[in-house]
Amino acid sequence: MLAYTVRRLLGTVPLLLAASLLTFLLVDLSGDPLADLRVQQPPVPAEVIEAEEERLYLDRSLPERYVLWLTGIGGDGDIGLLRGEFGPSVRGPDYDIGQALAERLGSTLRLVAAALLLALGLAVLTGVVSAVRQYSAVDYTLTFVGFLALAMPTFWLGALVKEAGVWANQQTGYTIFYTVGATSADTRGFTAGQLLADHLGHLVLPTLTLMLTGYAAWSRYQRTSMLEVLNSDYVRLARAKGLPNRVVLRRHALRTALIPLTTVAAVTVAGTVDGVILIETVFQWRGLGDFFVEAVKRSDAYALMGWLMLSGTAVVLANLAADLLYGVLDPRIRHE
Amino acid sequence: MRDRSRLTTLAASIGAATLVLTSCAPQEVGADSSLADCAEHPNTCNSGERAEGGDITWIVDSLPGAWATLSPEGGSVYTLQMLHGILPHTGHWEPDGVTFTPNMDLLAEEPRVVDEDPFTYQFTIRPEAVWDDGTPITAADFEVTWKLSTTEEAGHCTGCRPRTDNYDRIASVEGSDGGSTVTVTLADGAADPEWRDRFSASDIAGGIYPAHVAEEQGFDITTPEGVGEYFEWLHTTMPTFSGGPYRLVEGDLENQVIKEPNPAWYGEVAPTLDTVVIRFLTDEGTWISALDNGEAHGTSPVAFGQDTVEQARQRPGLNVSITAGPSWEHVDLNLENRWLKDVALRRAIFTAIDVEDIARRTIAQLYPEAGPRTNHIFPDTSPYHTDVITETGQGSGDTEAARRILLDAGYTYQGETLTLDGEEVGPFRLRSTSNTVRDTSTELIQSYLAEIGITATIEPTDDLGATLGGQDYDIMQYGWSSSPAFATAPSQYWSSSSDSNFGRYRNDEVDRLAELTRNASSLDEAAEYANEAARIVARDAYVLPLFSMPIYVLVTDGYVNVRDNPSSSLRALYQHHEWGLAAQ
Repeated sequence: MLAYTVRRLLGTVPLLLAASLLTFLLVDLSGDPLADLRVQQPPVPAEVIEAEEERLYLDRSLPERYVLWLTGIGGDGDIGLLRGEFGPSVRGPDYDIGQALAERLGSTLRLVAAALLLALGLAVLTGVVSAVRQYSAVDYTLTFVGFLALAMPTFWLGALVKEAGVWANQQTGYTIFYTVGATSADTRGFTAGQLLADHLGHLVLPTLTLMLTGYAAWSRYQRTSMLEVLNSDYVRLARAKGLPNRVVLRRHALRTALIPLTTVAAVTVAGTVDGVILIETVFQWRGLGDFFVEAVKRSDAYALMGWLMLSGTAVVLANLAADLLYGVLDPRIRHE
Repeated sequence: MRDRSRLTTLAASIGAATLVLTSCAPQEVGADSSLADCAEHPNTCNSGERAEGGDITWIVDSLPGAWATLSPEGGSVYTLQMLHGILPHTGHWEPDGVTFTPNMDLLAEEPRVVDEDPFTYQFTIRPEAVWDDGTPITAADFEVTWKLSTTEEAGHCTGCRPRTDNYDRIASVEGSDGGSTVTVTLADGAADPEWRDRFSASDIAGGIYPAHVAEEQGFDITTPEGVGEYFEWLHTTMPTFSGGPYRLVEGDLENQVIKEPNPAWYGEVAPTLDTVVIRFLTDEGTWISALDNGEAHGTSPVAFGQDTVEQARQRPGLNVSITAGPSWEHVDLNLENRWLKDVALRRAIFTAIDVEDIARRTIAQLYPEAGPRTNHIFPDTSPYHTDVITETGQGSGDTEAARRILLDAGYTYQGETLTLDGEEVGPFRLRSTSNTVRDTSTELIQSYLAEIGITATIEPTDDLGATLGGQDYDIMQYGWSSSPAFATAPSQYWSSSSDSNFGRYRNDEVDRLAELTRNASSLDEAAEYANEAARIVARDAYVLPLFSMPIYVLVTDGYVNVRDNPSSSLRALYQHHEWGLAAQ
């Protein structure tokens, strides 16, 4: 297992290098980071633009810039991924892309963790119920709800959830749910309890939206997987031996049926970092998704590269985790 | 039976809730809106008595790039809006775009030009004007602000990266009378028709920076290096000093800043609101629900969002006011294109374009007052406005006249295709960034050109700067932003040496007039030169103005003295220390 893990980890290095080269090219093709500066009114002095070009290393050729971004050799100490420096930002010489990414990662994880845990729990529950009560009214209802959430665009679902939250606030006369940000604008003077309530009030709607989008797909996986297991020979044997239905479901069927979901979930969690872009935009949550949008808006090439590398690394590692988990959960699979 | 009844009740409840949630019963608001008279009384609409206390959360639609507006990364309307009320300033433009109001809270008398050669003007500071720590505001503050606003080449600041070089033309800023008189002298031979705009609320610094704070922080501002260090410090540090009606008490550059009244404020009108929160909400789609939910109370965004305005008009608690904004759309031609070098062809193209039709089919649906713009520099509300377009026939949509121009110039038609010496003219690449207005507009332009036998291929771009800078177009629609401060506009738009003269227009007379505009000693004189330059550019058919884009302000019920200011980058925030909850 260890040898397999090390081998896989070593395999990710050329993969990430290739990905970095490709994304660097694409980001470079996507536009001039100083394009807005060049059309500003009144005009920005030419020497200021030249200084910006130099600061952002735009006065160097594309291959030079890539090597510089990767290694930092020949730079001013503010660039070099291998040295832990993500490069200078168009947001000014004091903007630290690495620090911003770390802060945003924390913010996104806060949002994603709660949503995904809830989504997983709900998906397992409804998937199992749907499978056990196949073709019943409950199954049809859960299937309908699942497909509805699956079919609904995330931004639209988010907008509906927000409308519902505002409506609930108006009906109760209390502001329980908030539609923008991670906290209220002015929390000075809040007690610890008020602060907690404020944080939760801001977390509910985006979490609910993210949960519904995650739950929808996973519940379908879980239902299919559970049905497959329920129709398998060993479950029939367990039943034939007279084991109570609850025991059969819990001890024999569910554990096996969780394997596909676990692996799918591991990969999806990494993908959620991308998917959260829309949620963070709709709820103005200053996380990684919002960081990406802001970097695109500003044509902030090194910030975009930082985000893409973080996202790419997460996907590669999640795939590895999924493969390893598969081996742990399914005794038939051994990683040599 | 009971189960079925329950199910029916549940279904009915869900249905009812869905209806309530998705209901959008149109309720046109506006007739009794407190902003309803802003078109007639732009400087005073929504005035009223204020009650003591209250809060307001104002949406700013993009993130400020830094804690100061001097540099390219901080130099945006968003940073200006965030910091307004903190820095003392010498005045501002009123919403009518005609009146410049000197800040008589700071100044003891109106600023004046004291000498024409060298061009010299003076500000006199009231003795009551102080920073929040009690330090008097003096000429030293003006001096350090001037130095912070100059390029490294000027020699006053090492490492400064100002977003304009307007302040490079100042030779000295000197104090007298104990620092209460500030004398600003320009370099020999230079003049500045917009001298009153220097150190004003919407100029490069957004006001005046404190010299004593630099010293407290250990920066030696008598040296260029010290000024450069102060420059960097200002961009990275939230200002806790204040010489205006508000002070910043908390905030960051990604979520919000909180302003509270400055206890040491020396002005005539004191803020009554306890807090003003500037909240950065970068997605327009979030605003209406935030306003509905009481998480925000108003906004005056840069861009015009049709959906937002339509939704706001259906909300009974929201007041909306739409007006012509500073940004104006225009069609530019790339004179490097071999066909477009011919002035007759350019005139024919512009004559075939029906500007009124474009306005009617785009912005007039929400802003019926929208009409063709007939001057590149001045909107028709400006006292300096002269119609330089109508007499040329450009923008009229007169295809017969356009065809006559072409035939007279030797062009011929093969079938419906325009040709010259047997060769098809064009096709041309018609480009713009994509939005509702520009998409419709470019399609219309394409159809007008088809009527005179010219093929235009629409190619949207998402990188305006690169498209313009790289001259990657034949015909381009985009927007410039105008302001009452116009003196640098002709040289930026049309001077042969300007990097922003994207279509490479060259005319020695226009070059001369642009330079004269920039160096005129009064606005009247500058306007004469600017109008003359615009007339030549119109005659040469280089740029066809279309119309001013509308802008809007939204504010929830109950607030007085909130109104939009299209003449200022600060927009509705331009006098936000006068805002308040309406007195009952």
